Amino acid sequence: IPKLYRNVMEDVINEVRELFLDEGVDEQVLMELKTLWESKLMQSKAVDGFHTEEQQALQVQQTQQVTQTQQPSQSQQVLMPPAQQAPQQQVIVQDPKILQHMSATGMSAAATAATLALPTGMAGVGPYPQLITSQGQILQVVRAANGAQYIIQPQQPIMVQQQVLPQMQPGGVQAPVIQQVLTPLQGALPQQTGVIIQPQQIVLTGNKVQQNPQVMQAAMAAQTQAGPGGAQVQAQAQAHSQAQGQPVQQQQPPVMLQVDGAGDTSTEEDDEDEDEYDEDEDEDKDKDGGEDGQVEEEPLNSGDDVSDEEDQELFDTENVVVCQYDKIHRSKNKWKFHLKDGIMNLNGRDYVFSKAIGDAEW
Amino acid sequence: MAYQLYRNTTLGNSLQESLDELIQTQQITPQLALQVLLQFDKAINTALANRVRNRVNFKGSLNTYRFCDNVWTFVLNDVEFREVTDLVKVDKMKIVACDGKNTGSNPAE
Repeated sequence: IPKLYRNVMEDVINEVRELFLDEGVDEQVLMELKTLWESKLMQSKAVDGFHTEEQQALQVQQTQQVTQTQQPSQSQQVLMPPAQQAPQQQVIVQDPKILQHMSATGMSAAATAATLALPTGMAGVGPYPQLITSQGQILQVVRAANGAQYIIQPQQPIMVQQQVLPQMQPGGVQAPVIQQVLTPLQGALPQQTGVIIQPQQIVLTGNKVQQNPQVMQAAMAAQTQAGPGGAQVQAQAQAHSQAQGQPVQQQQPPVMLQVDGAGDTSTEEDDEDEDEYDEDEDEDKDKDGGEDGQVEEEPLNSGDDVSDEEDQELFDTENVVVCQYDKIHRSKNKWKFHLKDGIMNLNGRDYVFSKAIGDAEW
Repeated sequence: MAYQLYRNTTLGNSLQESLDELIQTQQITPQLALQVLLQFDKAINTALANRVRNRVNFKGSLNTYRFCDNVWTFVLNDVEFREVTDLVKVDKMKIVACDGKNTGSNPAE
């Protein structure tokens, strides 16, 4: 399976290389795409990881640019350090995974544990990655900047802890964690001020992570909104970028985590949606004037339906198979499926098939 | 034009996310990203058709079925997937299947 994916990736990358060049885009961007793609594949743990040679090289280049974003995507799974092949690379690779896990589990305890674990030793991958929550990319950048060294040095974390712990909040867990990363960055990478993680991430300026609440909000909101959110973060971060040696502070007292969508755009969208919905309702009522029963029936019918159905249909982390069908057959309530060329994601893992035959009863 | 069916897979989603990131940082244009995705569609369709050679059997119970625009969508419960090597069980799963009889039925580009 990994080989198949590698092959596909290689094919795609090679084919788009031409496209990239046509557009006048640098080959490096293509490499970046490849790296991002690979790293995400590896995080998902649906495929076995590989192919990280270029990653490392790229990260060194990326320190100054830094546009790595990460979002807790489909499968947030814990990838424990034990399975290390190439220490440097692996660490980098695994960090995001662990981070994802961290973010998934909601972190307060984890972050505390992470901060405590920090000083205990940097040898292992464990403590280090735990530092960073969903901001996996931060880790990468940090690492790349220092090459193979661990950026977070024993002394600093302790210092950070004191600052960080009091600030930890249920929603803002990620903020302190990131701050930890930042303070070490001060010592290790004074020059690294332009670390920007988008769209929902915090802009690392080497010092402060003031925008945490905002970023958290943005992080919780839809990705599309992260653009403006990210821009805000950038602007603010850079304004403070030069202050070094200062303790990390949270400058926004109200650290209210907005889960349901930050920014004005969402309210506008809601309004639009409401308007459209109202119009539709009116139309329906007019149409159904002739069929009085219809409008009433619909709500009644939906009451009849087992409510499970809707939940099931909309639930998107369920196991999915995308494929093509050769033949779908039914006899009374017995269904037979003849499928082909499919990719499955079952229990978090990816499978492929050239043919699949199945039976089910309705 | 190949099916865009495979964009919602691990492979496809990670590609889309990566492309989105590059767009955010203005390293590529959305137009280019779209081209990449189209290219991905072709590549994945070809790869699946040519490189994959394994069979799977499955059985379970059907919860819902939908056939719309020549696309079948099923929601199955308590399904067992059996490959030669191993067995995978899931409580609930969704199958999205496009017409595989003749991909030429898609509007040509």
